[in-house]
Amino acid sequence: MTRIALLLLATTTACRQPLVAVEAGPPLRLVVAPGVRINARLKPALELGDGTVLRFDSPRVTPDSAYFAAAPTAAPPGGARRGTLRVSVCPSGEAFCRSLEMAVAW
Amino acid sequence: MLAGVVAGTTAAMRRLPLTPGVGGNPAPELTNTSWLNSDQPLRLSELRGRVVLLNFWVFTCGNCTRTVPSLVAYDRLYRERGLTIIGIHTPEFPPYAGEHDKGNLTRALGRQGITYPNAQDNGRRTWDAYGIRYWPSFVLIDKRGMIRYTGYGEFHLGDGDFREWERRIQQLLAE
Repeated sequence: MTRIALLLLATTTACRQPLVAVEAGPPLRLVVAPGVRINARLKPALELGDGTVLRFDSPRVTPDSAYFAAAPTAAPPGGARRGTLRVSVCPSGEAFCRSLEMAVAW
Repeated sequence: MLAGVVAGTTAAMRRLPLTPGVGGNPAPELTNTSWLNSDQPLRLSELRGRVVLLNFWVFTCGNCTRTVPSLVAYDRLYRERGLTIIGIHTPEFPPYAGEHDKGNLTRALGRQGITYPNAQDNGRRTWDAYGIRYWPSFVLIDKRGMIRYTGYGEFHLGDGDFREWERRIQQLLAE
């Protein structure tokens, strides 16, 4: 079983609950609980301290290309072990999107 | 364990929380400087006498783009009767994601057949002034410049939410 490196504290304004987790990999992999969809038109971004931005991606998306159908991944950066993750999530039971921004380490 | 936490989170969310204000609160003025489908920046103070529907959206949001056909329909049906729809295009991510780019927004408007005015809210000033949290969100303003209804969430041509927003538009147009 892959170890989940860290549960991320999602800093949404409405819900201070963890929605997304990152598996250390390699590659780095975003996992979400059932019912949480990641917006594929706005690829998740990992911002590193030196200004580098890594984008998560997956070739598998829903037919309308709106959401990832498989966990998006990114190659782990050399050296850096922490950063800021941005993810646009759209819960399947709801009809809106919201942004998560959180500090992560792996 | 994670799944349980998330399920509890989403269940707590509510769609379309309505603010059916009788008198309403004054709508914060628009201060955006970059506009599309408008020759000049629009100001609410210059739209007194018209009903204004603000749509907070971003072209990378599927929930937003799937709602656009409904807004295009309202624009077609009610513009000449006194409705002004204004898109407030508010990026989710920093500029590296391309949402701030005016060319990208121009192309998105073309793809969606949007001819009503859109403001670039790249600094989120209008988003913050209205206390918006979700994409898409809506604010309906009456002829006196008062906020009468707010809500959020995708809807579609002819569904219940579409009919409810249309009913509100008609109500304010009739006042």
